[in-house]
Amino acid sequence: MFGNPSPNTCLFIFLGEISLRKHEQTQGFLLITPSLILIFGLTIYPIVYGVWLSFFQKHSFFPGQKFLGLGNYIYLIHDPEFWISLWLGTVYALSTTLFQIIVGVIGALLLNETFRGRNFVRGAILFPYMIPTVVAIILWQWLLNDEYGLINSILLSLNIIHRPIIWLGKDNIMLSLVLISVWEFFPFVLVSVLARLQTIPPSLYDAAKVDGASAWNRFFHVTLPQIKNVLFVVILLRSIWMFTKFDTVWLLAQMGGAGRYIRTLPVYTYMRTFTYYEAGMGSALAIIMFLILVGSTAIYFKMFRREEEL
Amino acid sequence: MARSGSFFSLRGLMIYGGAGLFLLVSAFPFFWMISTSFKPLREIFVFPPYFFPKEVTLASFEKLFGQTNFIYYFRNSVYVSSSATLLTMLVASGGAYSLTRFRFMGREKIASLILFTYMFAPIMIIIPFYILIRKIGLANTHLSLILANTAFCLPFSLWLLRTFFQSIPPVLEEAALMDGANRFRAVLHVILPLALPGIIATAIFTFILAWNDYIFARILITSDKLKTLPVGVSDLHNAAVIDWGMIMSAGMLITVPVLIFFIFIQRYLIAGWGAGAIK
Repeated sequence: MFGNPSPNTCLFIFLGEISLRKHEQTQGFLLITPSLILIFGLTIYPIVYGVWLSFFQKHSFFPGQKFLGLGNYIYLIHDPEFWISLWLGTVYALSTTLFQIIVGVIGALLLNETFRGRNFVRGAILFPYMIPTVVAIILWQWLLNDEYGLINSILLSLNIIHRPIIWLGKDNIMLSLVLISVWEFFPFVLVSVLARLQTIPPSLYDAAKVDGASAWNRFFHVTLPQIKNVLFVVILLRSIWMFTKFDTVWLLAQMGGAGRYIRTLPVYTYMRTFTYYEAGMGSALAIIMFLILVGSTAIYFKMFRREEEL
Repeated sequence: MARSGSFFSLRGLMIYGGAGLFLLVSAFPFFWMISTSFKPLREIFVFPPYFFPKEVTLASFEKLFGQTNFIYYFRNSVYVSSSATLLTMLVASGGAYSLTRFRFMGREKIASLILFTYMFAPIMIIIPFYILIRKIGLANTHLSLILANTAFCLPFSLWLLRTFFQSIPPVLEEAALMDGANRFRAVLHVILPLALPGIIATAIFTFILAWNDYIFARILITSDKLKTLPVGVSDLHNAAVIDWGMIMSAGMLITVPVLIFFIFIQRYLIAGWGAGAIK
C-alpha cells in the first residue's frame, strides 16, 4: 500500500519542509488546546482560587467574605483537633502503605509463577481495587458486624476468640479501617510490581541458581534490585493517595459512632467546610495538606534517590 | 512451565495454597454479598450465618426498586459517567496524539504540567471548585458533576493515551503521509485501528473512575433524585434500621457494570500498568 517514495515526492517534501514545520506547530497546538482549557479551567484555576480563599473567612453557602490574612493558619496551629487529625492521617497513610507494599510484593512474586488458572487469579485479585468504595465499605461493615457478621462467627467457631469483637467500636475502628484499606488498595501494588517482574530476563535467575544462591538470596540480590525503581514510584504514589484518601475513611466513619477515632486530615478538611461551613478554614487545611505532601516528597527524593542518576 | 513443579511437590503446594488464599481474600466478600442479597430476612439475621441461602428470594431486589429511588440513581450514574467519559475521550485523544506526534513550543512543559495536576487529590480541588460552581449557579446539576469528573479523569487519560500512542511507531503514518494522504486520513486509516484497543481501555478506565466517584457527587448534588449510585446507596445505608439484604443487592447491582467492563479490558490492563499510567 505504501510503496517507496519516488524521487519527486522526496523533493516535494524537502521544499515543503519549512512551511510544513510552521503548519505542524499550529496543528499540534490546536489539538492540545481543548485539554489545556479544561485543565486550567477545572483544576489549576480552582487550586489558585483555593489558595486565595484560605486567607479569608468565608461561609460555604452564603456570599461575602472577610480578609483574615494568615488568620486561618494561625487558628489551626492552636487547634488540637487539627493536630489529632494530622496524627491519625499520618498513622493511617504510613501503616496502610506499608502493609499494601508487603502484601502486594508477596502476591506479585506468587502470581509471577506458572500455575494452572493463573490468569483467572490475576483478574480476580483486582476485584477489590475496581469496585466502588461504597461497596467495599458496606461489604466489610456487614462482614465485621458484631452481632451477625461472618468474621466474628468464624473466629468464634474456631475458638480463636470467646466473645464477639466490636470491630467498629472506638478501640478497633482504626485497625478495621487499615485492614479494609489494605484489602481495597493492595492490588495496585501487586499489578505494578507484577508488570515489572515479567520483564526480568530469566537468565538472571539461572545464573544465580548456578552459583547456588538460595531462594532468599535470589530475592535480595536479583529480584529486589530489579523492582527497586518501580517500588520507589509505587510507595510514593500510594502514600500520597492514602494521605489524601477521603471516601474510604469518611464512609466508614459515617456508619458507626466511633468516627471521631478515624478523623484523618482529609475528613477534618471536609468537616470544616461542609459541616461547620467554614470554606476559608477548609481551604487552609487543603493547602496545609498540599504543603506537607510537597515537603515529604522532597525529603523522600533526597533520601532514596541520591545514589541513582534519575 | 516446568519451573514451578507439579501440584504435589512442596513448592507446588505453596504456590497453589498461596494463590488460593489471595483468591479467597479478594473474591470471597463478593460471593458473600451475592449470597446475602438472595436470602430472605430471617436467614440474614442468623448467627452463625449460612454460606448459601436455604431459600432463594428476590424480596431484597423488589424492595430496592419499589421503595427507594435506586432506579433514578442508576440512570443518573449511567448518564453522568458516560458523558464524562465521552467529553474526556474527545478532548484527551486529540491532546495525547498532539503530545506524541507534533513538535511545538512548550510541549514537554505541558506534559509535566499534566503529570503534576494528576497528583492533586479530589479533596484538595473540591472546596474551591464547589464555591465557583455555586457562583455560576451550577450547583446541584449533573453538568457540574460531569465537569468535576472530567477534571479528575482528564490528566490521567491524557497520560495513559500518550503511552499507548508512543507505542505505535511514527514510521507508519509518515509512510502514509509520503504517499500523499493528509494527516487526517493517515490518522483515520493507519493510527486509529492500531490505537483503538488503547483508546477503548482508557475510556473504560475513565468510566470506572467516574462510576465509582463518591466525593464529587456527595458535595455537588443535593436533590435525592439527582444523586448517583455511590451517594444514593450510602444514604440508604445511613437509614435508622439497616436493611442488609437490600443494601447488599444494591451493592451487587452497582458492581455488575464495573465487572462487565473489567472483563473486557483485563487483557490491556497489565500492559498499561507496566507503562506506569494507571491511577
